[in-house]
Amino acid sequence: MAAANPLPLPAPGRRAGAALRLRALMGGADLSRGDRLLRAACGMAALIPLLALVFLVVPLAISAVPSVLFSGPAFLTGQVFSFGNLYAGSPSLHHGVAAPAGAQYGALPILLGTLFTSLVALLLGVPVAVGGVVLLAELPPWFQRTASLLLELLASIPSVVYGLWGIITFGPLVAKYVYPGLAATLGRVVPFFGGAVGYGQGLLTAGLILAVMIVPIIATTTRELVRMVPVHNVEGAYALGLTPFESLRTVTLPFIRGGILAAALLGWARALGETMAVLMISGNALNVYPVNIYGPVSTMAGTIAVMLDSALTDATGLALHALAELALVLLVVTFLTNLLGRLVVRRFTSTALPIGRGI
Amino acid sequence: MLPYLQKLASPVHTALSNLTLEPSGGGSGKGIADAIGGTVQMGGSDAYLSDAQATQNPTLLNIPIAISAQAINYNLAGIKDLKITGDILAKMYEHHITNWNDPAIAAVNPGVTLPNQAIIPVRRVDASGDTFIFTSLLTATNAEWKAGPAFGTSVTWPALPGELTANGNPAMIQVCKANPGCVAYIGVSVEQAALSAGLGEALLQNKAGTFLQPTQDTITAAVSAGATNTPNDLRQSLVYEDGAQSYPIVNFEYLMVNSKQSDANTAAAIKSFLTWSITAGATPSNLASVDFVSLPTSVVPKVEAAIAKIGA
Amino acid sequence: MNQVQRQVREALFWALCGIGLLLLCLPALAIIASLLKDSWPALSLKLLTATTNQGGLRNAITGTLLLALGVLALAGPVGIGCGIYLAEFASPGSAPWLRFFSEILAGIPSIVVGYVGYLVLVVGLHWGYSLLAGILALSVIVLPYVVKTTEVALRQVPSTLREGADALGLPRSTTLRRVLLPPALPAIVTGLVIALAFSTGETAPLLYTAGFTDQDPTLQLLHRPVGYLTAVVFTDIQLPGAQAHQLAYAAAAITLLLLIALTMAGRAISRRSRRLSERMSV
Repeated sequence: MAAANPLPLPAPGRRAGAALRLRALMGGADLSRGDRLLRAACGMAALIPLLALVFLVVPLAISAVPSVLFSGPAFLTGQVFSFGNLYAGSPSLHHGVAAPAGAQYGALPILLGTLFTSLVALLLGVPVAVGGVVLLAELPPWFQRTASLLLELLASIPSVVYGLWGIITFGPLVAKYVYPGLAATLGRVVPFFGGAVGYGQGLLTAGLILAVMIVPIIATTTRELVRMVPVHNVEGAYALGLTPFESLRTVTLPFIRGGILAAALLGWARALGETMAVLMISGNALNVYPVNIYGPVSTMAGTIAVMLDSALTDATGLALHALAELALVLLVVTFLTNLLGRLVVRRFTSTALPIGRGI
Repeated sequence: MLPYLQKLASPVHTALSNLTLEPSGGGSGKGIADAIGGTVQMGGSDAYLSDAQATQNPTLLNIPIAISAQAINYNLAGIKDLKITGDILAKMYEHHITNWNDPAIAAVNPGVTLPNQAIIPVRRVDASGDTFIFTSLLTATNAEWKAGPAFGTSVTWPALPGELTANGNPAMIQVCKANPGCVAYIGVSVEQAALSAGLGEALLQNKAGTFLQPTQDTITAAVSAGATNTPNDLRQSLVYEDGAQSYPIVNFEYLMVNSKQSDANTAAAIKSFLTWSITAGATPSNLASVDFVSLPTSVVPKVEAAIAKIGA
Repeated sequence: MNQVQRQVREALFWALCGIGLLLLCLPALAIIASLLKDSWPALSLKLLTATTNQGGLRNAITGTLLLALGVLALAGPVGIGCGIYLAEFASPGSAPWLRFFSEILAGIPSIVVGYVGYLVLVVGLHWGYSLLAGILALSVIVLPYVVKTTEVALRQVPSTLREGADALGLPRSTTLRRVLLPPALPAIVTGLVIALAFSTGETAPLLYTAGFTDQDPTLQLLHRPVGYLTAVVFTDIQLPGAQAHQLAYAAAAITLLLLIALTMAGRAISRRSRRLSERMSV
């Protein structure tokens, strides 16, 4: 559209050019002493995030080495995660690493537990966030303001409070009123939804709470994306006689699809790394797969938090190294998901992605 | 352990005005590791040091300051005082006994109509002294368990479809209450809550064959039986002791203390606290607030000897 | 497709969106309401005067505030400095990378930060459970937010102001202090408020770095654990007895009220800053 504009772009570009030239005339060497001091100080501060990354990754990687040597690929494929017999039996050497009798660190059920709780959260959270925001954009400003306040509040509720609410209120509530109905209807068609519904701690409850936790980040991003859709295109769609839904489907959604994908990836990264809430409501099953969607599972982050205490009783120290490897795997997975989100956004839209919890 | 130390914090400050007790949270593993690492002066633990840890940390003393016990609870409508053995419990957690109407359970409960109901074993997910003493009983009573998971603050539980886990003692009660057919091991410090939640308290078979519930008398009987052969390093299990009236799941509550302290003042302060805690501090009201029992008189000299080793 | 079908589909879609919007707006209200209801009986003045072993929260509240202030003092200047560099000094080649590192840092799970904090600071450097270990772990988590809000705030200052200052030949540091920072300040402060809010609500990075104690916190940086509110929520709900549970509810409610207050403050400041920048760009 800009290319079709016959008028040359006036002032802004030229003014910026003038300022640049001025600065070039002054030259870098002409920066005053105070300027250089300021630049040096800010430059050092700018390196801190990188430094923090290094100080996080390097010790973790070093600490994980004995566990990597001991377990090899079995860490990712094994079904049993156990610190072994710490009281009876004496430590033995495997691949040059001393391990308690019976120790094995197979994290597959934990990896899958993390994957599935976060996927449930995505499957529920993305449609809710996108659908809600699309409708919100059509509503009066005062309502939009209220909704954005509620979203901000939701983003600020601490993980441990979500966990407390999940244990005391939400879990028992859904186990009593929602899950039995789900098991009686959907459960008849899909066996994984059938069977005993438990007491409100498990895969589905964790997924639901995680969905609530990642909704703000996805909704905030989607709202920015919807605002960026060119008004002309939407008006054109209406002029063609399309209904609001049809215009949404043919004009708005294609425009923001990439951004939503990126937001979903960010939300996913957050769900993967979430600790306290999931720890409190996932049921923390170890070494077993849930019999149905209501069954207990455990996640990487929750396992690290809950098993650290046991790991400390391992005289060989290998249990701590195994948890370090688990943390490293978690770090790599969330890093890749984050990275993918940012690459996607660069490919599809020009909007800036929020970070972490959606700022 | 934490509730008891919190209970002691105020009276110890009154009795020994130069001392302040600062209990902090965390499980037995953290207590042991913190004491080894020197991040705390005394680390609370329901479990004694393993052989490997004791060898690695020769200066770390295991100092018992009280006795605790554990109840076996279950959720079966209308059935009170169910009798159960360590062997049956092991088979439940091994998935060999899966229904409450199993002949093995019926055999020790003559005259009781057992329901046709699936057994749901509940276990602790966190590192816990309760798991330590419960699995100690299973190890003592069942050969397959001894050869398999054995005992520890966390063990390799046999993978059970439909098993449930809980994080902390109160959660054990909550989970068990919500799941009819459950069986759970719960520290006596929260047993009142378990009973008022409607859970049954099992009569547990001891080594002599008697079925008992945990009471002050049965716990004391077990301690007296065990105290006759307490080793000097005080690392001793009190589980499944001899004696007709000995309750089978009993344990020492330890404070892990490094015998080599950084300075003489700290050493003296720790010694005076420990001495106080096993004498004037071990009042019935302090202990009863968490359903602990005081150390038997026969063990006290050995504990005092251990305390005397603390120095700078 | 006929007209009726189109209308039905239309209505169905917007109805589903309505459900979505409801699910978007309700949870915050539901959580806050149910928590306030549960904690109502536990709320009393004693919470402010007694320590956690006496049924109060005094040490946890002051501990949380102390940790948050420490984070403000550490992550504040570093984050603002980093943001200024990104907005004003960084070359087009280095800026995307520096920004990327900060963004990746924001994506690191908090439990990983806590775990490494335990390995490196508590055990490795023999700091023990301590105020400084807790502050460092929290600072790593909130730093990217301060960086981002600062950079965005500076970029939103109308370029005419910057150009005017340049035309006058002002040194950069003066331009920054006298021209750019005043209009950007509200937004930067909002970032700091967010940092405060996040450090008030975190648990996972603190469990094994700050430790916990029933004693009142002191300014001693090392070898002395600190109590904080979220630990009370997590620990006391697992302890036996209604009293402990009441304390957990109360701690959760106070944390939540603090966070709501901070969120509101952040919104108020950023609304004012938006109005300010709108006025200036006219």
